[in-house]
Amino acid sequence: MAETYDFLFKFLVIGSAGTGKSCLLHQFIENKFKQDSNHTIGVEFGSRVVTVGGKTVKLQIWDTAGQERFRSVTRSYYRGAAGALLVYDITSRETYNSLAAWLTDARTLASPNIVVILCGNKKDLDPEREVTFLEASRFAQENELMFLETSALTGENVEEAFLKCARTILNKIDSGELDPERMGSGIQYGDASLRQLRQPRSAQAVAPQPCGC
Amino acid sequence: MASDGARKQFWKRSTSKVPGSIQHVYGAQHPPFDPLVHGTLLKSTPKVPTTPGKAKRVSTFQEFESNTSDAWDAGEDDDELLAMAAQSLNTEVVMEAAHRVLRNHSQRQGQPEPQEVPVPKPEPKPVAEPPAALTSDLRLVKSVSESHTSCAAESASDPAPLQRSQSLPPSATITLGPGAPGSSALSEREASRLDKFKQLLAEPNTDLEELRKLSWSGIPKPVRPMTWKLLSGYLPANVDRRPATLQRKQKEYFAFVEHYYDSRNDEAHQDTYRQIHIDIPRMSPEALILQPKVTEIFERILFIWAIRHPASGYVQGINDLVTPFFVVFICEYTEEDDVDTLDVSRVPADVLRNIEADTYWCMSKLLDGIQDNYTFAQPGIQMKVKMLEELVSRIDEPVHQHLDQHEVHYLQFAFRWMNNLLMRELPLHCTIRLWDTYQSEPEGFSHFHLYVCAAFLVRWRKEILEERDFQELLLFLQNLPTACWGDEDISLLLAEAYRLKFAFADAPNHYKK
Repeated sequence: MAETYDFLFKFLVIGSAGTGKSCLLHQFIENKFKQDSNHTIGVEFGSRVVTVGGKTVKLQIWDTAGQERFRSVTRSYYRGAAGALLVYDITSRETYNSLAAWLTDARTLASPNIVVILCGNKKDLDPEREVTFLEASRFAQENELMFLETSALTGENVEEAFLKCARTILNKIDSGELDPERMGSGIQYGDASLRQLRQPRSAQAVAPQPCGC
Repeated sequence: MASDGARKQFWKRSTSKVPGSIQHVYGAQHPPFDPLVHGTLLKSTPKVPTTPGKAKRVSTFQEFESNTSDAWDAGEDDDELLAMAAQSLNTEVVMEAAHRVLRNHSQRQGQPEPQEVPVPKPEPKPVAEPPAALTSDLRLVKSVSESHTSCAAESASDPAPLQRSQSLPPSATITLGPGAPGSSALSEREASRLDKFKQLLAEPNTDLEELRKLSWSGIPKPVRPMTWKLLSGYLPANVDRRPATLQRKQKEYFAFVEHYYDSRNDEAHQDTYRQIHIDIPRMSPEALILQPKVTEIFERILFIWAIRHPASGYVQGINDLVTPFFVVFICEYTEEDDVDTLDVSRVPADVLRNIEADTYWCMSKLLDGIQDNYTFAQPGIQMKVKMLEELVSRIDEPVHQHLDQHEVHYLQFAFRWMNNLLMRELPLHCTIRLWDTYQSEPEGFSHFHLYVCAAFLVRWRKEILEERDFQELLLFLQNLPTACWGDEDISLLLAEAYRLKFAFADAPNHYKK
């Protein structure tokens, strides 16, 4: 599945435990809600190619564990991320209160220029809401974040969140604000030409030695 | 002074007889074990690990290990050493004889393929069984053997198919135990194994060393609960002391519950409780865990453990470690073989309480050995992932290079292997089988696990080497197709891990580049 693409962006999904980070990723990649979603250990990985503004972009998405103890491991994945979904649960003020800490982590460990979109997840549970839209959008404004309320269950705004983040990065590349050539930008050019030069996979299989070494 | 000299001499004399020193000389004089050469040897007789011959070798090494780990007594063990030597000399003969017997058996059974016989390691069926359980068994056996043969056919055409059917629920093959029709030769062998277990367990003082040897290649289901309690160190070897110990420990656990559990909503502990509370409903097997009684039991066990172990506290992944104990212990009290249809409300309350306490203590014993996996910055895991990397670079350079070349870091996939002891990568019944061996190995969970992980990674070498894209590699490594793995896959994995351990464990220079 060596598709061609114009750009590759490295994305993070961060936020407190149980806010629905893995479900957002699953909804984005599989287009359905993950019923039996076990909590994430360390970091899990997903990837999808999207078309934004006429460009094909491969998103390489790192879905991180929310529990504090894993930070020492998850932090090592922050470096060189171009974008991040910062997730809280609208039915849990606690997850909202820890947003500032997560944001600091992202900006110091990934890059000060990381494009962050704030996602108030579990929008479908409106009756249990503990954080208002207004309050969160004010926080987003103060911290220069984009903001959406999402539902990994219904899929509402999930695709939008990822696309919006990707579009902003593309715009910043166009305007010269972001330089893909810079080390650790989290952006790579898709070297389609190189890929096409490659031999077909069957010819590459250099008859590996019998397994079990 | 004279006595000093005598002592010195004693030590000198002793040292020459301690197996550890023999091993040392062996390691220094001979070139490092060549895994490639050794590997092809193993390859040519791929069914060996589960034959009695192999079991002999395993037990030999076990004996060897136990002698080295307890060098103080080694001076008295000359006879045992001699016996060991004799045993290893006889391995070939033993294996040949074993093959012959198995061949004869299979011919009598009308099974033309002798290799088929030793591979599956089903748990023996209890000799006498109530008819009701028997009929339900038959129903289960049918579905299991069907799914099993489909898997076998698949792996016959392709030793490691890239996309195996993931649709099979992890617990679907948990009933792999009862002997399938036409395998009475197996049942015979397994029945005698079961007898041996029963004998050992009934002895006034169970010989734990013997029990470990026997358990290494899998524990029959009926004796698994008791065997696990003994191997984990929860129950004493002395049969008369067991009931009192059980009672005391169960009382102790519920005293903890009484003492600590109300504090779960206190400010100091509410984060811990909240995390446990949101994690448990996300565990599998869902059908079991979501039963309110089970959810409560898991919450209590984990909360009490976390409170009593502040150095690590509760870390995600620890919750998974409760499941195998709970499932094994509860299966003793239900006729239900399938975890997914197990109804806990039918288990009497006092029995359930005992299961809860037993699960807590056995899990605690396990965690005692791997606590640095869960303390701040998780140093145990970091170290083991590093060791895994070093080990793989020695045993399978191409795979190591390939991962390196595509910038796949071991931490990206193996972190979870260590944090959850491969439980996220394997179906539950495979984990239970794996733990039979982990509990019979010295430092099984903390040390032998590393070799199992190495064997597990290399097991996918073909798929790994075919994948030439970072994302695809990582997606593959994070979603390995093990859904239809059975006990025989675990046995092969363990045999390979054992071989690696034998070659590399006490020879750090062998696995340093």
